[in-house]
Amino acid sequence: MTDISKEAMMPPRSFLSQDAVQVFYRLLAALLICAVLAVLSDSFLSLGNILNVLRQASLTFFIASGLTLVVLTAGLDLSVGANVALSACIAGTVIHKTGSPALGILTGLACGGLVGLLNGIMVTALRIPSFIATYGMLWVLNGLTYWYMAGETLHGFPAGFRQIGSGYLFGLPIPVYLLLVFLGIGTLFAQRTIWGQEIYAIGANPVAARLSGIPVARRLLLVYAVSGTMAGLASIIFLSRLNSAEADIGESLTLPAIAAVLIGGTSLFGGVGTVFGTFIGALILTLVLNGMNLLSVSANWQPLVTGIIVILAVWLDMKTRRRAQ
Amino acid sequence: MTRKLGYLALPLLMAATLTTEARADGETIAVFTKNQTNPFFQTVRVGADNMAKTLNAKTLQYIPTKPDSIPEQLSQIEDVVVKKPSAIVFTPVDYKAMVPGVEKINEAKIPVVNITDRSAGGKFLSFVGADDYSLGLETARFLLKTLGGKGNIVIIEGVKGSLTNVDRVRGFNDALKETPGAKLLASQPGNYQRLQALQVMENLMQSNSQIDGVLAANDAMAVGAIEALDGANRKAQVIGINGTKEAIDAIKSGKLLASGDYNGFAQGCLGTMMAIRSLRNQPVINEIVLKPTVITKDNYQPFDVPLEQRTCPTFEDAGKLGAK
Repeated sequence: MTDISKEAMMPPRSFLSQDAVQVFYRLLAALLICAVLAVLSDSFLSLGNILNVLRQASLTFFIASGLTLVVLTAGLDLSVGANVALSACIAGTVIHKTGSPALGILTGLACGGLVGLLNGIMVTALRIPSFIATYGMLWVLNGLTYWYMAGETLHGFPAGFRQIGSGYLFGLPIPVYLLLVFLGIGTLFAQRTIWGQEIYAIGANPVAARLSGIPVARRLLLVYAVSGTMAGLASIIFLSRLNSAEADIGESLTLPAIAAVLIGGTSLFGGVGTVFGTFIGALILTLVLNGMNLLSVSANWQPLVTGIIVILAVWLDMKTRRRAQ
Repeated sequence: MTRKLGYLALPLLMAATLTTEARADGETIAVFTKNQTNPFFQTVRVGADNMAKTLNAKTLQYIPTKPDSIPEQLSQIEDVVVKKPSAIVFTPVDYKAMVPGVEKINEAKIPVVNITDRSAGGKFLSFVGADDYSLGLETARFLLKTLGGKGNIVIIEGVKGSLTNVDRVRGFNDALKETPGAKLLASQPGNYQRLQALQVMENLMQSNSQIDGVLAANDAMAVGAIEALDGANRKAQVIGINGTKEAIDAIKSGKLLASGDYNGFAQGCLGTMMAIRSLRNQPVINEIVLKPTVITKDNYQPFDVPLEQRTCPTFEDAGKLGAK
């Protein structure tokens, strides 16, 4: 296959600009939520609270950014939360045993990446639908983590290591820097590299992608490995921020990550969406929870409000998309 | 196809059960707990093993692989009804939904002791548990007393609608009601999760410049709240519930004020003890609701011992431990 046919498979320009329009709508929605919260709560617009929201959104974003690439290929990775739990427990053990944060960080990233790679192998070589492969992986990882931890909690890590999750640099929390870096890398990778464009093409039409010479299996392996590695990164942030790890931290991370991707406008059918949209998605989810805490909304209503926001966001997305087409 | 395999498996399964029963020298006690993730149930299991060893019996642990899974515990009950252990020590994953399961055990005429969460139905020879309400009340009282009966308080709740959370939070609120000087600023959900509690605390600190006390419905959330306070260079007195190892360490280092002890170890010990005693036709106590213990800097030492090295209470102690 020639490069020319590869070029032909790239999403046409209008696709990208439509994505830009969708991101713009989302940014408006986030700003609208901010405006409402600013009116309702005096403390919302303080610098402290804004940094607070960004730092809280970062953990969801790390997991969701890798997941975005998977969803762009019309796949899904349900094992991300369980992956964070296992990677955090293993990285934590390594730091405790060796006293070396660097070794722990590497182990956490490697563990996450390896799990992602295994997901990729199941999806490509064994041709198991990603939904089922990663759901199975979720159980395997939970089983391993529960067995390994046996009801114990790991806690107490070196002060230097803890800076990653809870430290500041020039007044900004360090996770916010990491968020900006990965937002930049993710956006550049998806929009400006051949590999990124091939990922869009695979999601839009896998058969056409294969026929035009895109190494589909290799790109899919990459995408799942990236998703796993980002879960590994999230596990390091989690460890250093909370100073501890336990087996059951994963479950409550998976759904918000998937919600961030969907609110961010990435289509479950593949080929459409952006990493920046996912960032806005994570931001909207965090803003809603932050606002409910600031306004002391009763614990009874919080899941309901979050659910409505997710449904509203996806509905609005489909409506504006249809109009654009 | 699967059916045929099932028929094949049945005689194998029966053969397996028969051989284990023939080999057993002491009684076999099946112990049901809710999950592998909560350190509390680990203490229950160690307590049960400890007591069984002392009394020369054996335990078989049944734990759902998916935490608190109702269908999984139901199928484990079906399994145990076939295997017929001498007795069962049972924590329902859900106090209402597991009633049909308990009825199955009753039909199979296997004696069963209920521990931790009180089942809404079925016949038990004994109940051993702690009272979440008085645990919440006493631990909150201790915090309010430490603060001199005044100050701004926030509550971090567990999973909304769970039995433990409802009673613990009710205890917190009643302690606040009897302390007119204390002001409840907010009661927000942390779902028993460390990360969520940390974020809730970070958010609440934005809208409240002065927080003096934090009442968290479990230890993981209490420690999460402390991380948030530390991160913002603010100080408040924090309490948790469960008496986990992590909480004891935090009490020792002065970060956590107190933790209400839910006493899983004693529950495991006493539940197993009552089951074995009834099999040996010895008298049992029908109901033991353990008195709440508030673990603080002054009394943490006995809780600082590794679980495996702790000793179970005796039958004579059991009567004294219960508060009715």
